[in-house]
This record gives sequence, structure tokens and C-alpha cells, in this order.
Amino acid sequence: MNVAVILIPVLPLIASLITLIFGKRYFKDKAHILPVLSLFGSFILSLLVLYDVIQGRTYNFDLYSWLVAGSLKVGIGFQVDPLSAMMCAMVTSLSFLIHVYSIGYMHGDPGYYRFFSYISLFTFSMLMLVLGNNLAQLFLGWELVGLCSYFLIGFWYEKKSASNAAIKAFVVNRVGDFGFALGIFMVFYYLGTLYYTEIFERLPAIKNAYIEILGYEVYVPFLIAFLLFCGAMGKSAQFPLHVWLPDAMEGPTPVSALIHAATMVTAGVFMVSRLSPLYVMSDEAMAMVAFVGAFTCFMAATIAPTQFDIKRVIAYSTLSQLGYMFMACGVGAFSAGMFHLFTHAYFKALLFLGAGSVIHAMHHAPNPNDIRYMGGLKKYMPITYATFLIASLSISGIPGLAGFFSKDEILAMAYFSPYPWGKAIWLIGLIVAGLTAFYTFRIFFKAFHGEFRGRSYLHGKDPHESPKVMTIPLIIISIGAIFSGWLGIPESLGGGANFQKFLEQVVYHHEVEITDHALEYGLMALSVVAGLIGIFFAYLVYVKNPRLETLFSSNFKKLYKFLYNKWYFDELYHYTFVLPTFFLARTFVNLIVDTFVIDHTVNGSAKVTTSFGGLIQRFHNGIINYYLWGIILGLILYFVVYYYLN
Amino acid sequence: MGAQDLAFYYLGFAMILSGLFTVFSRNPVHALLSLLVLVVHQAFMLYLLGSEFLSAVQIIVYAGAVVVLFLFVVYLINLQKEARFRVFVRRFSLGLIFFILFAFLFIKYFVLIFSMSTSIRTLLPIDPTSSQALKMMARYLFTEYLFQFELIGVILLVVVLGTVFLLRKAKEERLG
Amino acid sequence: MVDLNSYIYLSLILFMIGLFGFIFRRNLIILLACVEIMLNALIILFASISYFRKDATGYILVFFIIAMAAAEAAVGLTLAVALYKKLKKVYTEEINLFRG
Repeated sequence: MNVAVILIPVLPLIASLITLIFGKRYFKDKAHILPVLSLFGSFILSLLVLYDVIQGRTYNFDLYSWLVAGSLKVGIGFQVDPLSAMMCAMVTSLSFLIHVYSIGYMHGDPGYYRFFSYISLFTFSMLMLVLGNNLAQLFLGWELVGLCSYFLIGFWYEKKSASNAAIKAFVVNRVGDFGFALGIFMVFYYLGTLYYTEIFERLPAIKNAYIEILGYEVYVPFLIAFLLFCGAMGKSAQFPLHVWLPDAMEGPTPVSALIHAATMVTAGVFMVSRLSPLYVMSDEAMAMVAFVGAFTCFMAATIAPTQFDIKRVIAYSTLSQLGYMFMACGVGAFSAGMFHLFTHAYFKALLFLGAGSVIHAMHHAPNPNDIRYMGGLKKYMPITYATFLIASLSISGIPGLAGFFSKDEILAMAYFSPYPWGKAIWLIGLIVAGLTAFYTFRIFFKAFHGEFRGRSYLHGKDPHESPKVMTIPLIIISIGAIFSGWLGIPESLGGGANFQKFLEQVVYHHEVEITDHALEYGLMALSVVAGLIGIFFAYLVYVKNPRLETLFSSNFKKLYKFLYNKWYFDELYHYTFVLPTFFLARTFVNLIVDTFVIDHTVNGSAKVTTSFGGLIQRFHNGIINYYLWGIILGLILYFVVYYYLN
Repeated sequence: MGAQDLAFYYLGFAMILSGLFTVFSRNPVHALLSLLVLVVHQAFMLYLLGSEFLSAVQIIVYAGAVVVLFLFVVYLINLQKEARFRVFVRRFSLGLIFFILFAFLFIKYFVLIFSMSTSIRTLLPIDPTSSQALKMMARYLFTEYLFQFELIGVILLVVVLGTVFLLRKAKEERLG
Repeated sequence: MVDLNSYIYLSLILFMIGLFGFIFRRNLIILLACVEIMLNALIILFASISYFRKDATGYILVFFIIAMAAAEAAVGLTLAVALYKKLKKVYTEEINLFRG
């Protein structure tokens, strides 16, 4: 069985490398064959492994010794337990379906083989991240997914905005990774190991450890949790490192679906859940996680209704939902956060792929993403319409669909949480639920209902449904968007809470039992109502009474501008970080270091050689007499040496 | 103070003087004529040192051929016109230092070596003052040193050929 | 008293004179003439050793030296003439095909 586990990430890796090396010449249009097949294989293997884990068998083994330095011994290892098995199954299933989808979406693109190589490589990286049994391997996968994200965001690298976005993503991630690395160092310093199992065993050792920093006594577990969370903020795009995710939409839509919805951005949540025993040691850490998540959740939900790019709206939606997951972790319900991660993966991927389908239909337009040019696509793209509807309902928390169960789980756990901020978190979550429904259905109505506004751009032709290779994955994922939530139906609604119980074997969950079921049902109803209100308002503004559309923007001009410009974060960062860095680079480094030091060193060494050569040159001038002098000099030396020193 | 000693002093002095003239003359013809004087005095010294034969050979070869050859060359290349002001090479002082150093060391150790052993086994005994001296020398030349003698002949042949070869005109004549 | 030592000193002095000329003169022809001076110094040396030691080796060597001097002068002058024909110069400082 170990072999199967190893093969899960290795199959995509092999496919990626072969496709990259041979794809241009030998595979060309068929470059998708190997990656798709390998992903399918990985998916089947993941299911087998999951089955094993459900039976109760877990694995934890090292493949080979990777880093050995002094007392640091880290290997490439695999830890298969409920958390990683679940993530594996989710990642491989979505990756496989998105690979298939990309066959249609990326058809005809000159970088066809490169695309498949990259997303397979990405899948490998994500799987290594998830399956690792130590922090170093987590970091390895972490960095690799960041790298693949860079490749894929900047896939159409000739487009300046795309390459800029890729750089932005990587640099912002790097900032987070800096804290992350410091956190890993601290873990090693205090606990002497990087393996999860050993870390958890040794945690009691630092239960009362404090470290002095700049005169303040800092609680060590909090510091470690904070530093590691920096990485999570970067990778999962939470405030303040969220700015890269909306720009990452420059990449092809399958990339957005896979990386920025289902897998990479969830790595932060995964990491926090994996290390939950560490986080619960410090209340401050929990509060930090909860409020960062809450703030991001709220902020993104306020920006989303103002954007006109369909992918950007969905990107902000992702930010918001990720905030939900961290909110859940922050109130002690890590399994609820992972549950939402699971369902979100499916309905968010579905939203993105549906948007991709629409963009594919609109691709003759100057800006195919702009919802203002869409409309009435219901009758031209029925399958896309239906699946998009399912996804929208799911994210809005309509009962029966996946999103309802997971979102509700979070809200309930927040309200009944033993942590004091639980109720505040619950309230924010509730408000955002309404906003989520509103902006999701805003784009739904704008794109699929009403009259088609983009006819002039499509040269008078009708938009058409996407090919089967794209719509079939949509249908399959929509099944997931509905039923993935059924795995975790809470006991109060008659289910067995199987999903949560499954995960709680390895992640922390607070011990509070919900006894007041009436209150629970009330809260549930409240969140459903919030969702319905959101949908109703969207319907009102965008279908019934289009004149209401500009109501907000004209009456609350300043607020609207603030929201439309993404709370001016990009501008803030530009002036505080980007410009000073450029200035520093251009004047200081370029002028002083480059010109003075390096240029002078290089030129100087050349001059030394030249002048030394010039010196020698004077003896090689062809004048016989000087040669004789040399001989005589030699003879003198001979005499001196032989007679004087003998 | 016998006649020989006097002769030695005179010849030695004259040789040194003419040597200095050769080295320090500005006009190359003067230098070569001084060389001629040196060579002739050298011949006398050889006579003084017991070998009339070598003295004659010296006159014939050295004075009669080598110096004449030099003079012919000087004539051929019209060296008169090329006489410049500077006699010696540039950076004279630097070389002078080297030379003085070398001369000092050389003379010191040369004399040292020579003053060391006085009993060297004579290889080819001869009595220079006897009338049989030349006969003995000839005998030695054709027995002990026969190989070297023949070799000298070959060398001279090579020199003749070499000279002709080096000065032949290039294949492409200017006048066709 | 004139003995072997005096002759050796004479030979040394003459050799030094020849060496001096050889390393300082610019004119190729005279350079070769100085070589002749040095060779003559050698002749004195060998002849005097041979005379005072009653050994014929020196005389034989003198014979060879004279022959060699002639040969070497011939070749050297030939080269100098060839060089002159090519470069029209006989001064060592100007005979320079290297140039930089």
C-alpha cells in the first residue's frame, strides 16, 4: 500500500516532466494524454487509500532521508490519515476533472503542452504538501505550489498584465513565506524536530515557554503560530497579503479553478488544521486566526458586488470563503473549517469553470470577462446555466446543497464556541452570508438573464454552448457541489456528521456539545433567510428593476469608490513598499554598489592584468641586448645561490 | 725581467687597449681595424706561448679571413651612412649595474677555481719549447682528437652551404 | 714575474671587455666583433694553460676555437646581412618585428 501512496504524487510528476520535455515536438495537440491519464490513476489510488483510512488504517513512513545536518534529520515522508486522505481525494478528483476541462478550454493555444505540464506539476506539488509527514516537506510543497502558481498565472507571458500579476503573486507569497520559514525554525529550535507526530508529542514542553523580544514577554506557542500563520496569510490570501489573488485571474480560467479555488489557497487552512494542537495552545493565536479571517471575509464581500469582471467577483468570493474557513478554525472548530474547504472546493471550482465556459463563448469580445456585455446566456448555454445555478445556490447556503451544510456548521460552531469571540464571528458570518448570496446572484442574473448585450462584439453571431469535454466536467463537479455536503450532515438534522467525526481523529475540536437544539435551528433558519434576502435583492436590482443598479453608486459616491478600488490596498502597498524599494534599488544599489564597487572591481582587475602585462611586455621587445642582460642576471643569481648559500 | 716578460706586458697592454677601442668606437670601421690590431697581437702572443703553428693559423684565419669578412660586410651594407650618435643601448646604467655585479662575482669565483688545485694530471704531454712540439701536436690532433677534427670540417662545410642558402634570392625576383 | 696567473688575468680582462661590448653595443656587426674579442680571450687562456702545464690539450683546443670562430663569424654575418636586406637596419633597438 505504501507504493500506492507514493504513486499518488509521483504519477503526475512523471507525466509533467515527460510532457514538458517531449510535449512540443512529439505530443503537440495530444499533450493532454499523459497528464489526464496519470491524474486519473492518482485519483483512483487516492480513493483506494481513502477507503483504507476509513477502515481505520493509517500510514506514516519515510521514503528516504532528505536533509541530515547535525541534529536535524528530515526525510521525504508520507503521512496518510483522515486529513491528508481527504485532501488527496479532493485534490485529485478536481485536478482530474479540470485537466479534462482544459482539453477544451486551452484548445489551440500555442502553449498547450506547457499548460498541462504545469498543472500536473502543480498537482504533484500540492499532493506532496498534503501528504507530507513533516514541516519541511510541507514547506517544499508550499514553495512548489507557489512556483507553479507563478508559472500558471503568467502563462500568457507576453501579456504584460499577466506577467506582472504572476510576479505580484510570487512576491506577496514570499513575504508570507518569510514568516513561515521563521516559524519552522522556531519549531525546530524549541521542539527539536520537524515531524508532526513528534511535534505533537513534545508540545507540552513549551506550554509555559516565553521569549523576550524587544522588552516584551512573548508566549512561544503564539509566536510560532503567528509566524506560521504569516505563511497561511500569504498562501490563502488573507488580509493583509490578499492583494495577489484578484490579479491572479490573469491566468487561464482552469488555473483559477484549480489553484485559486480548490487547492493552493486552501493550503493555509490545511496547515492550520494540521497543526491545530499547536494553535489551541494559545488563545491569542486563535483570536488572530479568527479575526483575520473575519476581516478578510467581510472586506472581500464588500468589494465583490462592485466588480464587473466575472472572474474577479469569483476571486473575491474565494477570499471571503477562505475567511470563513479561518473563522471556523479560530473558534476551535477546525473540522468545520475543513468541511467548508471540501465543499467550497467543488462549488467554487464549478463557479470558475462555468465562468470559463461563458468566457470561452464570449472570447471574440474585447473583454470577454466583463458581465456588462453578457446577458441572456440562459438560452444559449443551458448546461452552463444549470451548473452555474447549482453552484450559486450552493454558495448561498440554500438547504439541500453542499454549501448550506458546511457554512451552517461554521456558523453554529462559532455561536456555541467556548471562545469569547465566537458570537462576534457568528454575526460577521451571517452578514457576509447575505452579501455572498447577493453578489453571486448579481453575476448570475447579469450573465444569464435578460437580453444578450454583446451581440455587436460577436459580429452578430449567437454565443454557443461549450464542447462536451468542458460541459461534462461541469456536470460531474455539480454533483459534488450538491452531495459533498451530505457527507457532513449534522446530527441535529438527522445525519451522522460523518465528515467531521472522520476528521476529528486528527484535528482538534472543542468539546462543547450543542444542547440547545431550538437555538440551533433558529440560527440555521436565520442564515437561510440571509441567503434568500441576498438572492431577492439581486433579483430586484438586476432583473426586475435595472434602474436600481446605479442607485448605490450614485448616492454613496465616496463609499462606492472606496469599495470599487478594493479599499485602496493596492495603492497603499504601492506607495509604502513598492516605490521605496524601487527608489532604493535604482539609486542606492544601482549607483553605489553596482557602479562603484562592482564595476570598479571588474575594471580594476582588468587593469591589473593589463598593466602587469605591460610590465612584462617591456622585456619582450626584441632587443637582443636586453635578453643578454637577462642571461647575465640569471648567472648572477646562480653564483649567488651556489656559492653564498653553500 | 726577460724579453718574454716585456713582450707579454707590451702585448697584453696593446690587446686591452685595442679591445677598448673596438668596444668604444663610434665608427664601425675603426672598431674593426682595432679588432685587427688585437688579432695580430694575439698571434704574437701565441708565438710567445710556444706554438708557431697556431700563430700562423691565427693570422691566416682570423686576421686574413674573419676580419676581412667583417670589413666586406660593412662595406656591403654601407654602414658609414648609418652611423648614429648613440653608441650604446638605452638604459645603460641599469645594465651597467648588472655587468659590474656579474664581473665581480665572475672574477672572484673564476680566480677561486683556478687557485684551488695546482696538480692536474696532464692529458697530452708536450714540450712547447722543443722542435718536436708541432709534430707532437699534429700527432695528437689526428689520433686523440680525430673525431673533433673531422667534425670541424663538417661544420665548415655546413657553414659554407648555410651562407649560400641564407643569402639566396627569393623565388619571385623583382625583375622577373 | 710573469706566470700563468698573469695570463689568466689578462684573459679575464679581455673577456670582460668583450662582454661589455657585447651587451651594450647597438650595432649588430660590432656586436659580433665583440664576440670575437671574447673568443680571443679564450684563446689566450687555453694557450697559456697549455704552455705552462706542458699539455697539448690547450693547443688543440685553440686550433678548434679559431676554426669555430671563423665559422661562427661567417654565419653571424650572413644573418646580419640577411636581416639588413629585409629590414634595412642593423641596430638592435630598431630591429623589432614585435612592435607592441
